[in-house]
Amino acid sequence: MTPAIRGTGNLARRLILMTLIALGGLAQNAARGDETMPQLLPKNVAGWSAAGEDKVFTRNNIFEYMDGAGEIYLAYDFQRLLVREYMKWSAPRLVAEVYQMASSEDAYGIFSHDRDGQEILLGQGAIYGAGLLRFWKGRFFVRLQAESESEQVKQALLALGKKIVEAVPQNGKKPPLLAALPREGLIKESIHFFHTPVSLNVHYYLADSNVLNLSAKTDVALARYERDKRKMRLLLCRYKTPGEAEAAFEQFNKIYFHDRAAKTPMFRVEKVEKGEFVGAQCMGSSVILVFEAADRASCEWLSKLVAARVKGVSR
Amino acid sequence: MRHQREDKHEAVTRRDFLKGAAYGTLGVAMGLNLSCSGSNGGTAVGFDPVSMAKSLFQAENPLAQVVLVRNEAAVDSNHVVNAKVVGEMLDAAMKTFTGENDVAKAWQRYFRPQDTVGIKFTRCSYHRIHVDQAVIDAITARLAASGVSKERVHANDYGVPVKECTALINVPTIKVHSLTGIAVSLKNYINFTGRESSYHHDGSVKLGEAWLLPEVKGKTRLIIVDALRPYFGPGPQINPLHQWDYKGILVGTDPVAIDTVCLRLCQTKRNLFKGEEWVITPPPKSIAAADTQYHLGTSDPLKIKVVRLGWDKDALV
Repeated sequence: MTPAIRGTGNLARRLILMTLIALGGLAQNAARGDETMPQLLPKNVAGWSAAGEDKVFTRNNIFEYMDGAGEIYLAYDFQRLLVREYMKWSAPRLVAEVYQMASSEDAYGIFSHDRDGQEILLGQGAIYGAGLLRFWKGRFFVRLQAESESEQVKQALLALGKKIVEAVPQNGKKPPLLAALPREGLIKESIHFFHTPVSLNVHYYLADSNVLNLSAKTDVALARYERDKRKMRLLLCRYKTPGEAEAAFEQFNKIYFHDRAAKTPMFRVEKVEKGEFVGAQCMGSSVILVFEAADRASCEWLSKLVAARVKGVSR
Repeated sequence: MRHQREDKHEAVTRRDFLKGAAYGTLGVAMGLNLSCSGSNGGTAVGFDPVSMAKSLFQAENPLAQVVLVRNEAAVDSNHVVNAKVVGEMLDAAMKTFTGENDVAKAWQRYFRPQDTVGIKFTRCSYHRIHVDQAVIDAITARLAASGVSKERVHANDYGVPVKECTALINVPTIKVHSLTGIAVSLKNYINFTGRESSYHHDGSVKLGEAWLLPEVKGKTRLIIVDALRPYFGPGPQINPLHQWDYKGILVGTDPVAIDTVCLRLCQTKRNLFKGEEWVITPPPKSIAAADTQYHLGTSDPLKIKVVRLGWDKDALV
């Protein structure tokens, strides 16, 4: 090999090395979801092109984008939102919204907020319906919406979604609390994961006050179960400490069951309005509540199944 | 019954709401207190939300009357609104509501040429559930035909000069709302407060305050609800699966009655969508408070009469 060629080889190696470093940095940034968020979105897809300037919103100004709706995102650890519009001549406008959350658990959580639509295979979970595609991967939750729907629009949304999924380098883990949900009788698409009473109130009204002392530090799973063709609802709350769980459990008993006993039993089933049964149990750092059960046996069945699984779940 | 907590604060629970011991007649309007409501996942035998809804809003001596007009041609299969049909619907509703045979006379019952009229409509760009321009145009055209000059009419979402106005027309859409429960005419005035976000907490229970602001109080002459394409999903963001072409317009003067009718409409639609009871949450406390605390009208579905005109298929109320 001549020196000139050797020199070219060194240059090539340096270029390759620099490229690898740059790509590595890009991947790290994408994983962090910081200012390189725009690179998660392509300039063009299926004949549609990015139009106008990207918009970025943070916790401080999300209300400028969604007045009266930002509370739902702030109830999770939302960090940043990137919005990009795509245009194509004589075709509906597409709007891409990429939400960066602080954790993959919260990306899953906001994805679980509204699960109506058809489940499809994309990212770590995706739902499509009537020109709206939602999915999550890693710390990102993505909404892709078209002004109106056609087969061409649907394919464009799916292609855009696929490109975004490819640009997010890593998968993220689901909330560990979900492992405590028994599989038997579970209606999978009914699962919601959240932290605060704001989210609970959207899915299931329990009380005006924060009866369970929910906060940003609480992990909560809400799901429906079916047994003998009757449905019931499970609310599983995981606190930081057993003491917090006990305090929340005691408050719930006082307010919901009007309980004035000095010592609250750690597990109880009560018949309430409309002949429904409610189960309440405190176990370690968890409070397990079953609502709308058709009979005592169903209530006890679900409570015991959850209790058996809750022990092995880490925070 | 409300439970008195040890810290002396009252805590209303789901149990209180279900047995009708909280929020007045909201539970009745939503069908939660009816014996056949089938709250247990909708699996109760005979669950029929449509027939349940039809038993309400038929008061013989009503405290409030609401006219509902629908036309199958108002919205086409591409969700495009037909302005001409909308105008005809509005005329039919106003004639029935006032008992006048002449449209101009119907409007003259509420507005004089010397009035300065504010048309407060809903245009939320993010939610994309806003009043269709055809509805706004139909109203302004009929005001003009009844003698109110264009210069004296101010149609807007933000920026209605409410202090200058001698009369207001409340023109909302129908939208189930993740913080308020439902947003119709009561919430449409939230802009007038200048402190919108402060009204979102505690189920927006204080929305009635906006109606009692000195520059607003007593000025609302008509409420015209764009029910062409209501939204019944949880929000806050639009899922197109949760919007439907109802093709209706409602006219009335009682905001609480109007909102109660719309609450029942959306609750019934949600039940049909899921095939089981899918209760609107959080409870729209603003409606109950507007009745009992701010005295803006009635939320009792047994004291409200809905007069239905036109297309009757899937009317739901």
